[in-house]
Amino acid sequence: MLTLSGVFAGYGGGNVLQGLDLEVGNGSITCVVGPNGAGKSTVLKAVSGLIKATAGSIELEGRMINSLSCKEILSAGIVQVPQQDALFPSMTIRENILMGGYLLRRDRSLLKKRYDAVAEIIPLLAERPDEKAGNLSGGQRRMIEIGRSLMLDPKLVLLDEPSLGLEPKAVAQVSGLIQLQREQGRTILLVEQNVRLGFKMATHGVIMESGKIRLEGSPAELLDHPEIADLYLGGRMEKSAGPSPAT
Amino acid sequence: MEQLGQIIILGLLLGGVYALMASGLTLIFGVMHIINVAQGAFLVLAALITWELWKTTGIDPLVTMIVTAPLMFVGGYVVYKLLLERLRDSSPSMTVLLTFGLALVIEGGMGVVTRNVFRSVTPSYFNSSYNIGPFFLPKPQVYGCLAAVAVLGLLYFALTRTWMGRAIRASSQNLDAAQLVGVSATSVAALTFALGASTTGVGGSILSVLFAFFPASHYVWISRLLGIIVLGGMGSLPGAVVGALLLGIAETVTASYISLRWATVVFYLVIMVVLLVRPQGLFGTRLREDVT
Amino acid sequence: MTARFLPSRILPSQHRSVAAAVVALAALIAFPLVAPDDIYRQNVIFQTFLLAVGAISWNVVSGYTGYVSLGQSAFLGVGAYTVAILSLEWGVSPFLLSPLGGIAAALVALVVGFIVMRSRGHAFVIITIALLLLFQTIALNLGSLTGGSNGLTLPLPQWSADFQNFPFYYSMLGLVVLAQIMSMWIRRTKFGTGLVAIREDEAKAAAVGIHVVRYKVLSFMASAVVMGVAGGVYAYYLTFIDPRGMFDILVSVGIVLAVLIGGKGTLWGPVLGAFIVQPLNEATNVYAQGSQTRLVFFGGMLVLVVLFMPDGILPTVSRLLERRRRAHKSVLSIDQERIAQRKPALALSAERAAPNPQQPLLEVRDLTKHFSGLKAVDNCSLAVREGTVTGLIGPNGSGKTTIFNLVTGMMRADGGEIKFAGERIDELHPWERAHRGLSRTYQITRLFKQMSVLENVVAPLPEFRWSHLRAGGISGAEADKAKELLDFVGMAKFAQERADRLSFGQQKLVELAQALMLDPRLILLDEPAGGINPSLIESMADLIRDLKAQGVTFLVVEHNMPFVLGLCDPVTVLARGSKLAEGRPDEIRKDQAVLDAYLGEPEPVPQ
Repeated sequence: MLTLSGVFAGYGGGNVLQGLDLEVGNGSITCVVGPNGAGKSTVLKAVSGLIKATAGSIELEGRMINSLSCKEILSAGIVQVPQQDALFPSMTIRENILMGGYLLRRDRSLLKKRYDAVAEIIPLLAERPDEKAGNLSGGQRRMIEIGRSLMLDPKLVLLDEPSLGLEPKAVAQVSGLIQLQREQGRTILLVEQNVRLGFKMATHGVIMESGKIRLEGSPAELLDHPEIADLYLGGRMEKSAGPSPAT
Repeated sequence: MEQLGQIIILGLLLGGVYALMASGLTLIFGVMHIINVAQGAFLVLAALITWELWKTTGIDPLVTMIVTAPLMFVGGYVVYKLLLERLRDSSPSMTVLLTFGLALVIEGGMGVVTRNVFRSVTPSYFNSSYNIGPFFLPKPQVYGCLAAVAVLGLLYFALTRTWMGRAIRASSQNLDAAQLVGVSATSVAALTFALGASTTGVGGSILSVLFAFFPASHYVWISRLLGIIVLGGMGSLPGAVVGALLLGIAETVTASYISLRWATVVFYLVIMVVLLVRPQGLFGTRLREDVT
Repeated sequence: MTARFLPSRILPSQHRSVAAAVVALAALIAFPLVAPDDIYRQNVIFQTFLLAVGAISWNVVSGYTGYVSLGQSAFLGVGAYTVAILSLEWGVSPFLLSPLGGIAAALVALVVGFIVMRSRGHAFVIITIALLLLFQTIALNLGSLTGGSNGLTLPLPQWSADFQNFPFYYSMLGLVVLAQIMSMWIRRTKFGTGLVAIREDEAKAAAVGIHVVRYKVLSFMASAVVMGVAGGVYAYYLTFIDPRGMFDILVSVGIVLAVLIGGKGTLWGPVLGAFIVQPLNEATNVYAQGSQTRLVFFGGMLVLVVLFMPDGILPTVSRLLERRRRAHKSVLSIDQERIAQRKPALALSAERAAPNPQQPLLEVRDLTKHFSGLKAVDNCSLAVREGTVTGLIGPNGSGKTTIFNLVTGMMRADGGEIKFAGERIDELHPWERAHRGLSRTYQITRLFKQMSVLENVVAPLPEFRWSHLRAGGISGAEADKAKELLDFVGMAKFAQERADRLSFGQQKLVELAQALMLDPRLILLDEPAGGINPSLIESMADLIRDLKAQGVTFLVVEHNMPFVLGLCDPVTVLARGSKLAEGRPDEIRKDQAVLDAYLGEPEPVPQ
């Protein structure tokens, strides 16, 4: 679905991504993890068009999207859910979700169909559509943000640290929603701080470091990999004595 | 007691009109974080156009707003595209200077094209009023307030029920998120400025009946509008309405009990005190964590 | 831009400007003597002098300090009315009383400044407009004192008709010279450096020990005083003053125009701008009748200048010249990260209180900070012992940078307390904390972009002293110390470069030198190894060890694990806004809880 080849990208100063090659398969949930500064968020921003790749190519279903504007990339079917603050606080939940379908605003019936579909999987929307978004808890907000991203029935959803700042219960809810998407065949590229959680949800795992991919493969295997502690704590470590991660 | 009641009613009627005039200014600030110091000049310009039309065709000024509103809408759009769009990344002080310069150009232009004299529109009902109980409600004030409220209602409808309105509200609440869902920042900015300008089209028509004006009146008007939106909270429409009503009453009370000349001082004081003590006003949001 | 005009560098260009000014001054002095009957031109030039005084004064607060106001003409009015009222009361010549006009204006600036300079940006501009209009209204309404709209009529000049307008001409010219000297003197001193630092980055200026409140108010007063004196002279010249004329916002606009055209923040821009704007203004008066056209002229010029030439003439010209010069000189090995001969030992200030091993140097207890519902810091308690390099690590969002901000005073905590050397510092201003020996570097460097490297390092002030204001910007013991510090971090070669030309790593080194300038007991380092290349990371670690050996304590936030675990002892781990673990690096490395914090909970709580 999405292919990055030899991508260099950064913010003004230097390049954070150093020749990145990444494949996101159709219908997969790919989770990218790595220590701070590895370039995880940069990957998402390069794909969604917030920053432009200085070298290399990014292709969506064979079509080059490097040089497209954010809006064009949105029309092409890539939606991003950023790390925080993505809602309109004084607008109702209903309006927030509707705004997700802004590009479809002229097609009333399609919009309604999509809205109903989202309302089915997000109970909060169905129960309290007129609540102001600013009054929601962190977890509820995240659910609405993800729901909003589905209004365009996107080909690819980019999630930037969906569990950031959430209480465990909310994390479970978000995780459940993502699992649901996986069952429905949606392609998701997500970046996570919480390695174990991220890999639990994913079908494909990627570990980045210093702008490149260090390790890649099945999430379960990656979690058991001895180098993982290295990466995060810069030291050697015995094989994890904790509970083994579920698949 | 009755006199106080009368004063308060007049203040409310005035406040209704002020609310419409201030709505454009606060809308512009909410979306673009620009203070359009020329808003007062737009008002006076619209008033002048209304006066001219009334002078030549005798059309009632409150009807003329059908002409002035679209006219100011187009004018606002042009001003944004030509002048303000370039300044999107400039410091806020520079934008204030620019709009101030624009205000001067408009003031001077009006003075050059017409003469620099006081004017006022005097339709047939100019001097009559409604008597309700012990109170006198001057007809121009009543009609003006009704017109203002009606237009405010239209504005509210446009903002809440149309997609453009939602785009504007979304942009004012979270510009980044709005862009994330495909809203075009530049289109929204231009539209908001034009919409804000068009409210002065209506406000100016009403102004021409209720107040005497001349080109330099824009100072008094921008002071009033700034006082209102600062008090209500810059960017908040409900704030503008509440602020307008409160200050409308404050103005009539000061004018009656102290003196007419000190009435505008109320607005200057409100601007300074609120910006220093509680910069976000009544309903605005804190912009950021400030040091010292 | 402003760096160009310091006496310590590019002397030839500075001399050129002064020479040109002296020639112009001579011509202006000679003019009335050469053409004594050309009253009209003398008057035009007089008005230009007045505008120049306004422009030069305004430049101090708006150009140097960055607080753009539209209320400058208020000081003119205050001075004019003070002198007029006193002259009529006491029967003394307004010339003699004009210094009182200056004092009155300065007092107004003092009171107003303290109140009004708590706001910034567009709020500040709006407030100054409101103030000006308020003054005008007050003058209109306090009829008994000011004559209200009828104005005041001053006594006519008493000198012989042979002198005509000469006294006015020469006294206003004298004020222009005085104002210009004041402006140049300010810019040369530490006061001026402080003002520019405030303009570039006020929060950072506060954090390096500059008492921003006093500096801002002083600059406001400086912009008022000469204007007030000019007001007195102007009132005498006009013989009749009234509120609309004396508190005229168009005068402010003219001043702003003059400075913008000439170059805001430069030494000579305001004068140059005045000599362009006033003659143009005069031309419009003559050729296009009516005061309304004048409005269109001023407004139109303001719009055009803001749109197309916001920097003004002098900076644009100097940039073109600079570009030409740079084209010839190859870019000074600025891209190389090489740190040449570094002085291994640095004699820091010997007056260091003996470290108290019982009491932690920095102690944070139950610190809490919310951001719209999110608890960034949640009852966090930690301590830093003196003489250590303490590491602070933790996953994203654990609150590390927030804690730094709370400790240095950039933010107010919602709960808890912060103690430095046993003293509670929660309520202190950032500069007060800096004065007590608390210093900081930033993850994304915050140098004062328009200043040179040397100026940047000289800017921090370990204490507030009135004598500082007079002292030369780059001179004396402080300059020597700054040079030594630059040498220590290996950046001595770049002393004259503008800060924004440096690479990221080089900026970090300069920021470290800045932090050291304060003779700190504790330095908070925010990701010192982030975004720089490996060889520099090694040097950074060496620098820190050197400084530690000399008694400086460090608290280091870092994500680069080998760096932290190799350099710091002890290491504190934060997670979710509070302390998770603390211990020696090899303990932390093996701690399962720490690994869990980074990798995530083993199993999320089932729904």
